[in-house]
Amino acid sequence: MGILNLLFANRDVLNIEDIDVYEKHGGYAGLRKAVGMERQAVVDDVKLSGLRGRGGAGFPTWIKWNGLPKNYDIPHYVICNADEGEPGTYKDRELMLKLAHTLVEGMIIAGYATSSIAGYVYIRGEYVEPAWQVRKAIDQAYKKGYLGKNILGIEGFNYDLHIHLGAGSYECGEESALMSSLMGERGNPRLKFPHAPLPTVSGVWQSPTLINNVETYCAATWILANGGEAYSKLGTERSKGTKIISVSGHVHKPANYEIEMGTPLMELLETAGGIKGGKLKAVIPGGSSVQIMTAEQCTKINLDYESCAANGTLLGSGGFMAFNDRTDIVLLMKRTAEFYMHESCGKCTPCREGTRWIFKIMDRITSGNGQTDDVALLLDVCSQIDGRSYCGLGDAAAWPIVGAIKAFPEEFDYWIKYKRSPVGKNAVPPTPEVVNPLLTLTPA
Amino acid sequence: MSSSEISGVREPQPDPLKEYRFSEDAIAEMEEIATHYPERKAACLPTLWIAQREYGGYLTPPAIQEVADRLGLSFSEVEGVATFYTMYNLRKRGRHHLEVCTCLTCAVLGAYDIVHKLEHELGIHLGGTTSDGEFTLSEAECLDFCGAATVMQVGDKYFTQLTENNVMELIDQLRGSPDYTPAKLADAIVKIHVPLSSQTGGGSSKPEDLLLPAGPML
Ligand SMILES: Cc1cc2nc3c(=O)[nH]c(=O)nc-3n(C[C@H](O)[C@H](O)[C@H](O)COP(=O)(O)O)c2cc1C
Ligand code: SF4
Ligand code: FES
Repeated sequence: MGILNLLFANRDVLNIEDIDVYEKHGGYAGLRKAVGMERQAVVDDVKLSGLRGRGGAGFPTWIKWNGLPKNYDIPHYVICNADEGEPGTYKDRELMLKLAHTLVEGMIIAGYATSSIAGYVYIRGEYVEPAWQVRKAIDQAYKKGYLGKNILGIEGFNYDLHIHLGAGSYECGEESALMSSLMGERGNPRLKFPHAPLPTVSGVWQSPTLINNVETYCAATWILANGGEAYSKLGTERSKGTKIISVSGHVHKPANYEIEMGTPLMELLETAGGIKGGKLKAVIPGGSSVQIMTAEQCTKINLDYESCAANGTLLGSGGFMAFNDRTDIVLLMKRTAEFYMHESCGKCTPCREGTRWIFKIMDRITSGNGQTDDVALLLDVCSQIDGRSYCGLGDAAAWPIVGAIKAFPEEFDYWIKYKRSPVGKNAVPPTPEVVNPLLTLTPA
Repeated sequence: MSSSEISGVREPQPDPLKEYRFSEDAIAEMEEIATHYPERKAACLPTLWIAQREYGGYLTPPAIQEVADRLGLSFSEVEGVATFYTMYNLRKRGRHHLEVCTCLTCAVLGAYDIVHKLEHELGIHLGGTTSDGEFTLSEAECLDFCGAATVMQVGDKYFTQLTENNVMELIDQLRGSPDYTPAKLADAIVKIHVPLSSQTGGGSSKPEDLLLPAGPML
């Protein structure tokens, strides 16, 4: 357990962004191996590895890869979800900046395994620098014959990779909204299973579509190069391999750390240099959408899907935020509520209205106008969003609030009773001076 | 009385006089990008980026009309897209658009202090533009480089590890740079869509100039 660099093994090699250097360090070996195998054997290798999606939900990757029809009467597509938007997460950014070739290789392998004709890398618009690295990697791969027609001399293996940049919307990370955006529409999600077929049957342009996260494709590259069995030996019983955790907040050494699944949370915290500016107060282990954990709970959690779930939180995207005892949880949750209010796409009522209500209640509590039953009201509103909204953003807006009320009920009570921060004058984030924060959201 | 007046249906109006602004290079870029998708409509987002560049950093109604016409879409369809995404500017921005991340990590590491400092020094509120048109100040949602908090995006660049104390240095540097960053950002994004071998040289900057060195990582 602890740090284990598989994907990051070559991260610090000089000029690893260059295809020649990448090849010298074992690059494109996974692809060469894959194209020597039957397509189904590639899927089976991914199955053997036990890899689960790294975008947040932890869905078994091989089921998606296996789910695309094996016949080939309409085109199949591969999409990479590089719309990293989850607050606290910046692993895909570093993977693209340094290891764009690993991503490109993984997407070609996926294209081979699913008989796809093209792949799209959907990158958030703000990520100009990482996207340039992907552009360069794709161009170099074309020159070397890893992309284009009859790849590696295999008759009929034609596969193109394109980049599509977003334009500033968290919601476009949700896979069906991402497909809307790729097709040139507003980033609203689309009807989902069981009301509509799975994307693997009818996704983008009504074609079978495979969609995975950047880290998932990078892991697939490693798996094909080193064998699914080697990967399955790492990690825990049901969470295999490694996970990149983006550590940020009040720690001395914030960075991306690749750890073996099942590493104790406190061990990672120590690796990241420990808490600065005070004692540990709370950790959000998997991005802003997951429940916050108290310092005491932290000692019990291991970083894998099962242990997190057993403790009432989620590993999510691996956006690990640690907070010291100067942090005001209520103000933090107000900022979280503001985020979801801003990013709600407005398609369904529970989320569109509910996220505003949550924010308004949080705002009234933190501006000294909290009512005695506000906590109950918050819980009620959250319960009406969770499970009732059209896509996962609604759920993700409700979970952190409910989680914070559960973990730090006394802070909410203090705010409502005394109309000031329980942490005192130096609380972070600071109590805002702006009276109407609704105005602080910049109109488009 | 013509039949359409009786039925209340208006006859199609001739197009208002239109002045298209896409340069030949820009059209070539658009056509190249459109070949990446099975449907022309899918080029809507990249073409809006081209429009944002060609129209000087923001999308006016004629810009949206031009995108619609060139892609064979309706005005309202393209307008719907343009208004959904926050990175399309519907109003003119300052020469440098300062987008300070105030999301969770940045918020607890001093982002609001930076915002207040900038508000004070530049004499504007969030959302405002200085009277000389140099700076627009906004709050951004997580820019996803939280390890380098506090982060600020200006055009196509991220500036990291900002504090209340070093942010004014950056502002002075920006004042001295000749770039018009909203257009530069749009230009970079358009060029990323196009393989380097097919770059037509549209826009203000050469692709080589936009090829940035890898950003500082902690
Ligand atoms: C509101 C919302 C935002 C999401 N944002 C992202 C994201 O930024 N990046 C990502 O990879 N997955 C994101 N997801 C998860 C995707 O919908 C999807 O599960 C993922 O791309 C699947 O890839 P995986 O199987 O490799 O994890 C988001 C989901 C929701 C509901
Ligand atoms: S939950 Fe509803 S309103 Fe919220 S982002 Fe999803 S579809 Fe849009
Ligand atoms: S919180 Fe500012 S970059 Fe994520």
